[in-house]
Amino acid sequence: MDVMEAGGMDWMQNEHMLGTSIMAVVYDGGVVLGADSRTTTGSYIANRVSDKISPITEKIFCCRSGSAADTQAISDYVRYYISMHSLEIGEEPKVATVGKMFRLICYRNKANLLAGIICAGYDKHDGGQVYNITLGGSILKQPFAISGSGSSYIYGFCDSNFKEGMGRDEAEQFVIRALALAMSRDGSSGGVIRTVTINESGVDRKYYSGKDIPGFYEGW
Amino acid sequence: MESMSERSGGFSFDNVARNHVLEEKGMKMPKAAKTGTTIVGVVYKDGVVLGADTRATSETTVFEKYCEKIHYIAPNIYCCGAGTAADTEHTTAMIASKLELHRLDTGRQSRVTTCLTMLKRHLFQYQGHVSAALVLGGVDLHGPHLYTVYPHGSTDALPFVTMGSGSLAAMAVFESKYKDDMTLEEGKQIVYEAISAGIYNDMGSGGNVNLCVITKDKTEMLKGYAKENMRPWRKSTPYTFPKTEVLTSKIDKPRTDISVVVESEKMEVSAS
Amino acid sequence: MSGDGCVAIASDTRLGQQYQTIAMDVPRMFKMHDRLFLGLTGLYTDTQTLYNLFKFKLSMYKMREGREISPETFANLVSSTLYEKRFGPYFTEPIVVGLDKDNKPYLCGMDLLGALACEPDFVTLGTSTEMLLGACETFYRENMNEDQLFEVVSQTLMMATDRDCLSGWGGVVHIISKEGITTKTIKTRQD
Repeated sequence: MDVMEAGGMDWMQNEHMLGTSIMAVVYDGGVVLGADSRTTTGSYIANRVSDKISPITEKIFCCRSGSAADTQAISDYVRYYISMHSLEIGEEPKVATVGKMFRLICYRNKANLLAGIICAGYDKHDGGQVYNITLGGSILKQPFAISGSGSSYIYGFCDSNFKEGMGRDEAEQFVIRALALAMSRDGSSGGVIRTVTINESGVDRKYYSGKDIPGFYEGW
Repeated sequence: MESMSERSGGFSFDNVARNHVLEEKGMKMPKAAKTGTTIVGVVYKDGVVLGADTRATSETTVFEKYCEKIHYIAPNIYCCGAGTAADTEHTTAMIASKLELHRLDTGRQSRVTTCLTMLKRHLFQYQGHVSAALVLGGVDLHGPHLYTVYPHGSTDALPFVTMGSGSLAAMAVFESKYKDDMTLEEGKQIVYEAISAGIYNDMGSGGNVNLCVITKDKTEMLKGYAKENMRPWRKSTPYTFPKTEVLTSKIDKPRTDISVVVESEKMEVSAS
Repeated sequence: MSGDGCVAIASDTRLGQQYQTIAMDVPRMFKMHDRLFLGLTGLYTDTQTLYNLFKFKLSMYKMREGREISPETFANLVSSTLYEKRFGPYFTEPIVVGLDKDNKPYLCGMDLLGALACEPDFVTLGTSTEMLLGACETFYRENMNEDQLFEVVSQTLMMATDRDCLSGWGGVVHIISKEGITTKTIKTRQD
C-alpha cells in the first residue's frame, strides 16, 4: 500500500491476468491449438513470452485464459487427476474425459474462479477434438473454439474462413491468421503466436514472432 | 486457554472480529512494513544471479535502511521477496523449513520446482491475501531455474525477471541489455545496473545492492555489492547535553550463583 | 539503542485514549530475564496479553531447555507469534533488546505482523517513531559507555516526545549490561 498506492501502482497488487486470444481447431487428422503470449497485471505486461498452452497428457493440451493463478491451479489439478486416471484405465485418457474434468472443477468452484479454458487433443477413439469450457462451467464440443478477450474481434473471420476437413497446413494458417487479427485489435493480447499441432503421429510446437506474424491492411 | 494449548500451525483468526469492531470505533491500526522493492534475477551461462535493494518502508518512512531481501530457501535455492515484509519473510522461512525436512527425509538435493509448487500452492490457498511477490532462483540437477511468483499464486519461468515497485525501471535495463549465455561478470553487472535503476528511479527502493550468485557447485551471497548510499556524514564529536534530570535510579544485579535462592540483590543509588 | 557491551531501552509512561490521559506511570517495557527486555507499543490490552503470553512461553522454554532464551531466539518467537495472527493482528509493535552470550548488544524491531528489522545501532517504534528516528540518527555514536548511552537515550526520548502530544509525562530508561540492569526514571515535561 502506501508508497505503492500513492504511485498508482495497481499492477503490483492486481491479479495476474491472461487478457488473451486463444483458439483451437479440428482438422482432418488432428487439432491445432494457438495462443498469444501476453500476460498482464493492470496495464503492465508481466510476461511477453508466456506459454498459455499447457500439456495435460502427451496428446491433450489446454489453452488458458482468465486469471493466471486460477488457470495454473486448475490445470495442475487436472494433470494430476488425469495421470491417476490413466494409470487406472491403463491407457491414454480420452479428450472428452479431460474436458469434463475441467468442466467439473470450473463449475463446482465457479464463484471463486475466473477461467476460460479450451481443451483439445487427440485420442484413438474419437480422433482430434476441441472442447470449450466457459466461465460459468459449461462445456461445448466444437469444430473450432475461440476464447479470451481478443476472441470477440475474430468471430466473423473464423465463421467465414473455417472449413470442415481442412489439411494440417491450412488449419495452422487459419489459426495464425485469426490470432494475428485478434492481437492487432485487442490491447491485452500480443507478443508472439504459439501453436501446438497434435495428431496420431505426435505433437509439434511452433512459434511465430515479428515478421512471421501475418500483417493485414494497415494503410490508415 | 489458547496459550496453554500447543497449536499445530496455521493462521489464527481469533482477533479478526475484535479488530473489526476496534477499527469501526475509529482505532487506527499500525501500518505493516512493506518492501516497496526492486528485486531481479537473471540466468547466465553457469547459473543464476539474484539481486535486491535494501529498503523496507512503512508508509513513506524508511522502516529499515539496510534489510536483507534475498532469503535462504535451500543451499542451492534462494528467493527475493517483495510486498508485505512479514509475508515474504515467513512464507520463505516456512518453505525453507519444509524443504529441509524433505531433504533429511530423501537425502537428495532440493529441486527448484518443488519449492515453486509449494510456494504457489500456499499463495493460491490464501487467494492473494498473503502478499508475497517473489523471485525464485536456484540450480539443481536439471540446471539453472528462475521463476517469478505472484501473490495470487501464478508463476512464470523466464531468463530474466523483475519484481516490486521498481520492476519497471529494472525491466527497462534488462530489455535493453540482456543477452543469452552471459559470463558471470556480465551477469553481475546487468543485475547491478537493474537494481541501481530501481534504487535511483523508484521511491520505494533504495540503499545498497545485494547480490546472490548460485552455481552448480556453490552459492555466494554478495551483501553490499555496491554501497553507493551509505550515510555520508556524521558529526565527529559527540553532542553534549545538560545532564538529564534523573528522578530515581536503581541497579538490578544478575544472579551470579545458581545456588543462591534469595531474590536478586538490590541496591539503591541516590538520584543525581 | 546499543552501546559498548551495553544496550538501552526507553519509553515514556503515558497511557491514554486518544487525547485523554488515563495514567502517567505505565512504561511499556518488560524484563523477560536478566539480559533481555521486551518493549510493546500500541494497544494496551494487547501489550498486557502479549506480555503474559511471552512470560508463559519463556517459563516453558526455561523449563524445557534449562537455560534462558537468547535475544535472537526470543525475537523470532515474538515474530512468529505475531505472524500467526496475520489476518487478525495484535495492535502492537514490539522491540526486543538484550545482550547475547558474548555480551554483544542485540536489538530488533518488528511491525504488527512480525516482520523483523534487526539493526546494529538503534530501533524506534510507537507514536513518535519518525521523530525518535530523526533524533537517534543525529545523536547516536558507536561504542558509547553506559553513562553516555543513558544521556543520549534519555535526551533523544525527551526531544522526540516533546513534539508528540500522545507521548510524554515521564520516561523510564533501562540500561542492560553484564553487571546488571540500571533503571532510571527521568523528569520530562508534564503537559
